[in-house]
Amino acid sequence: MITRFITDVSTRFNPFSARSKSARLFLSFLPPTARSSGMTITTKLLARTSTEPSSLTVKFKDGKELNFDSDAMGIKSLIEEVDRHSRILQKQFDLNE
Amino acid sequence: MPARIRCPAARGLGAAMGPSSTIASRSATLLWPATLAASTTTARQYASMVESAFAGMSTLRLPDDYVPPTKPPTARPSDVRKSQLLRTYTSLLRSTPLILIFQHSNLTATEWSAIRRELNIALANVSPPGTDAAEIASKVQLQVIRTRIFDVALKLVEFYDPSKVASTTASTASGKKVKVTYNHDLSKAAYEAVQAVTKGDTPLPATSRYAELSPLMVGPVALLTLPAVSPDHLAAALSVLSPSPPAFPAPSRRKSPGYYDPIAQSGLQKLMLIGGRIEGKVFDIDGVRWVGGIKGGLDSLRAQLVGMLQNAGLGLTSVLEGAGKSLWLTMESRKVMMEEAEKPAVEEAEKVVEVEKE
Repeated sequence: MITRFITDVSTRFNPFSARSKSARLFLSFLPPTARSSGMTITTKLLARTSTEPSSLTVKFKDGKELNFDSDAMGIKSLIEEVDRHSRILQKQFDLNE
Repeated sequence: MPARIRCPAARGLGAAMGPSSTIASRSATLLWPATLAASTTTARQYASMVESAFAGMSTLRLPDDYVPPTKPPTARPSDVRKSQLLRTYTSLLRSTPLILIFQHSNLTATEWSAIRRELNIALANVSPPGTDAAEIASKVQLQVIRTRIFDVALKLVEFYDPSKVASTTASTASGKKVKVTYNHDLSKAAYEAVQAVTKGDTPLPATSRYAELSPLMVGPVALLTLPAVSPDHLAAALSVLSPSPPAFPAPSRRKSPGYYDPIAQSGLQKLMLIGGRIEGKVFDIDGVRWVGGIKGGLDSLRAQLVGMLQNAGLGLTSVLEGAGKSLWLTMESRKVMMEEAEKPAVEEAEKVVEVEKE
């Protein structure tokens, strides 16, 4: 996953729900130096009884914000969607260089 | 590739093939037909000949520690073998009353060591050395687990009861029949017991601990295991690993400067408490904090319970006594009333008698 253009990741999920899997896995895909390289990551854990759907919001350096319904999406499609925008930014970055 | 044999099997083979025992053991004959060839003085060996030579023997047996060259024992270190991990996890689940479950997202080795250092410092400060509490603190472990194998271990611990496995007969090396019970965690019985519950689309029972915990067993997971339910230690661990200011404040910058080390801090940011298993029950993050917030630990809870029961006992006795007492009082007062009612009558009668005498 291309993470260098992501500035902000915020998730909300109930870990006791099987549907929170993709949101949790997304957090584990962020590199170890994510926070030190300026990414803000906020995680809100919901109570065990809550039925609120899990959510994932990703903000990019160009100001684009992606909201995902991570209940319905798998980790592969989440990464695909994030990378789709990251690749555009990567292309622009390479051309400007 | 030569078989990597570093277990007693190699020595066993050597001993069986040694010059001292020519055809002493039957297994040696099977393993080393050349000894037979020497005795029969034939130049070439044929399978049929060897078989005919063995035809007279009623039972052919390999030594118990024989290792087939095509199936060498694993070269993997014993502590990371899956079978060994499964044994470790089942025994952990059976013996550990307090387990906290964390998700760790790409922590580096230095971050892990910084976190463990801070955790140990915080736990050591809970109680003076030499006490039972200090013993608990020294046994607390923060370990990364293999999630899939831990998942299997969770199933085994819940759905498999080793004491219910019937014993079977098996023959020993000397041919003697003995009764044995294969009820270890890697046994066929264990596998079948777990499969019977979890196979197919039938949902697990709602009360099942495994059904509650299995959604947590996703992605990278680490466990904090405490050998006893000690809310003091739990509170100390929580204040380091997942501080939440009013109840579990992070250690102060002056007391533990190491905690505010950038390496430790970046590690702690990636460590996320997602649940716990306390005394066999599953708790979420709030539940874990509630247990950690019990003041004075289990002893104080016991004292509270004893006090409550004593008060209830006192109340009960006073209530029971009260009923008897009030009955006695009413009866007594009635008696007094009746006596008083009788008395004037008697007195009047006496007066009448006296008047008549006069």
